[in-house]
Amino acid sequence: MNDSVLILSIVSAIVAGTPVLFASLGLILTERSGVMNLGVEGMMLVGGITAFWTGVQTENLWLALLAGGLGGAVLGLIHALLSISLRVNQIVSGLALVIVGGGFSSFWGSSGDTPLTQTTNGVKVDPLLPEALRDLPAVGPILFGHDIVLYGSWLIVAAVAYFLYRTTGGLSLRAVGEDPGAADAAGLSVTRIRYLFTLIGAFGAGVGGAYLALAVLGTWQAGLTAGAGWIAVALVILSGWRPLLVLLASYVFGALRTLGFTLQIAGVEVASDFLNMAPFVVTFIVVVAASANPDWARKVGAPASLGEPYSREAR
Amino acid sequence: MSGRLSIAPRARAPVAVRLGVPIGSLIAAGLAGAVVILIAGASPTEAYRIMAESSVVGWRSVTRTLVLATPLILTGLAAAVAFRMRVWTIGAEGQLYLGAIAASGLAVALPAGTPKLIMLAAIMLAGAVGGALWAALAAVPKAYFNTNEVITTLMLNFVALYLMNYLIFGSGSFWRDPDATFPQGKIIPESAELPVISYRLHYGFVIAVLVAVVLWWMLRSTTWGFESRTIGDSIAASLYAGMSVKVKFLSVLALSGALAGIAGTIEVSGVLTNLDPRAISAAELGFTGIVVAAVARLNPLGVVPVAILLGAVAASGTNLQTIGVAAEVVFLLQGLIFLFVASGEFFLTHRLVFRSAAPTEQPQDQPSEALA
Repeated sequence: MNDSVLILSIVSAIVAGTPVLFASLGLILTERSGVMNLGVEGMMLVGGITAFWTGVQTENLWLALLAGGLGGAVLGLIHALLSISLRVNQIVSGLALVIVGGGFSSFWGSSGDTPLTQTTNGVKVDPLLPEALRDLPAVGPILFGHDIVLYGSWLIVAAVAYFLYRTTGGLSLRAVGEDPGAADAAGLSVTRIRYLFTLIGAFGAGVGGAYLALAVLGTWQAGLTAGAGWIAVALVILSGWRPLLVLLASYVFGALRTLGFTLQIAGVEVASDFLNMAPFVVTFIVVVAASANPDWARKVGAPASLGEPYSREAR
Repeated sequence: MSGRLSIAPRARAPVAVRLGVPIGSLIAAGLAGAVVILIAGASPTEAYRIMAESSVVGWRSVTRTLVLATPLILTGLAAAVAFRMRVWTIGAEGQLYLGAIAASGLAVALPAGTPKLIMLAAIMLAGAVGGALWAALAAVPKAYFNTNEVITTLMLNFVALYLMNYLIFGSGSFWRDPDATFPQGKIIPESAELPVISYRLHYGFVIAVLVAVVLWWMLRSTTWGFESRTIGDSIAASLYAGMSVKVKFLSVLALSGALAGIAGTIEVSGVLTNLDPRAISAAELGFTGIVVAAVARLNPLGVVPVAILLGAVAASGTNLQTIGVAAEVVFLLQGLIFLFVASGEFFLTHRLVFRSAAPTEQPQDQPSEALA
């Protein structure tokens, strides 16, 4: 029964949703501090290429993931410098990083005598748990068949949720995002917190790109994220900036990505374009509905200072 | 170190700074690009020589640059008019696709023998309306519920992209050529093609420049322009002055969408000759337009040279492969130009002050300290 279409498609939905999950968790932290980051797509691409290259060079999964995270964080640093310190419009800075990240990664990928586009992945990402567990009916492949990085993402979901709602650090982060003026008056360094969580968020996007290149696809091609970074932007809004909901949303997105194949096997013809479109349509509808309904908006709405640079003098 | 640098705002920078900063930013972007080329194992001077040859040396290269600049002028204007009113639409990408869909659809629907002038006017109008209607999907919620336009316009971009893909790759729609082996759009009749000026340069470039001049005049000298600037400064004050903010949101977003729609029309009519989803989405013309507008400081006349500069960079990639540099470097350079110009911008509105002692220093404004 573990070969049934249903179980295989649940498994592939979880795997396909994981890169987006990493990126979305990072983005939640960044945006909770009040910094809007539209550059996720660029950060995932840079993370992907850095990780892939490191994987080819070292054949070490952990070094590759670290390199991917750091690759994303470098773009995060640029975003922080531009939007927090130099007060460049956050939308413009983010879009510029999508262009820079896309250009840089495809340039790197096709440069050299043996470009990375023609290189095979040096890293093996094997299932973590023993075969006896993985062979259990249904729960085996769905719950026990994954690699260590995917299990790590579950831990990170829990850690981010705990941090946001149960720690002083999380309270500070949320305070800065909701009302930077009040947070500043209470003695928090708005700039320091925004820098920190922009970097952490970008690291998450880089790890997402790394997992996509190393584990999900296993090859490098230019623009391999195919909009996953934008999906992360949408899912974070859709989940109301909540880590547990973003886990669910990522897997639903993963299911939509793979549903086309599944339905085809089942003999149902459905245009994959509409499945790809679905997360964006749903986010659009939810955002419009929330704004038309103030009570609801308060519950699912964005951090109040999202997208607005903070400057003491301008208060 | 006993003293430290701090940042202070300034009202108006001296002329030397206002000229020096953008030029310095461009040089810095070029140097950063040179470093990347060097790391990739090629000679930067050789690479830049080849890039200049493919983009600005000789009339033929110049026409290539201008062809690539044309849609960027229009998407740059689309962003500039909205951003001036602090309406942060990032929907030009999707509005451009809808313009291309509407224009290519009408071009193959009308009889091929339609007089050229009527045909061109009709598809331009169709493209503008297509783009404006797509923008209206975000503009109406913005005007009535104050829905965040950044998110709605962003989402609509991807809806438009997959809709366009569906029309060509996912279905046997009216747009798709039923006789072609591989999925592709029906070729538009010759009467729907923009006339050519020289080589592949078409009259779309002239249209784009004229639109820029008209918008510059509108923003400067009409009530509409005055009101849109005022609303950008303060919504409350504008309401008090009796301006109809709702109507302005609708009209500025519709105008922005129409401009992007015309950009899509011109790409179909002047360059692609059919609805080609891959080609029209590859260059991310809508997103790049936002960068163009930002570098031009939202000035419609400034958009033209900035778009030509980025067009030149895009055109310069063609022959780089001959010296072993991947053509993708041009996208990197476009991004670098923007990053450097945007950070340079800061020094036009702020100045660095060196203080020997600063007991009441504000750590908020110290990025280096915040990172430590």
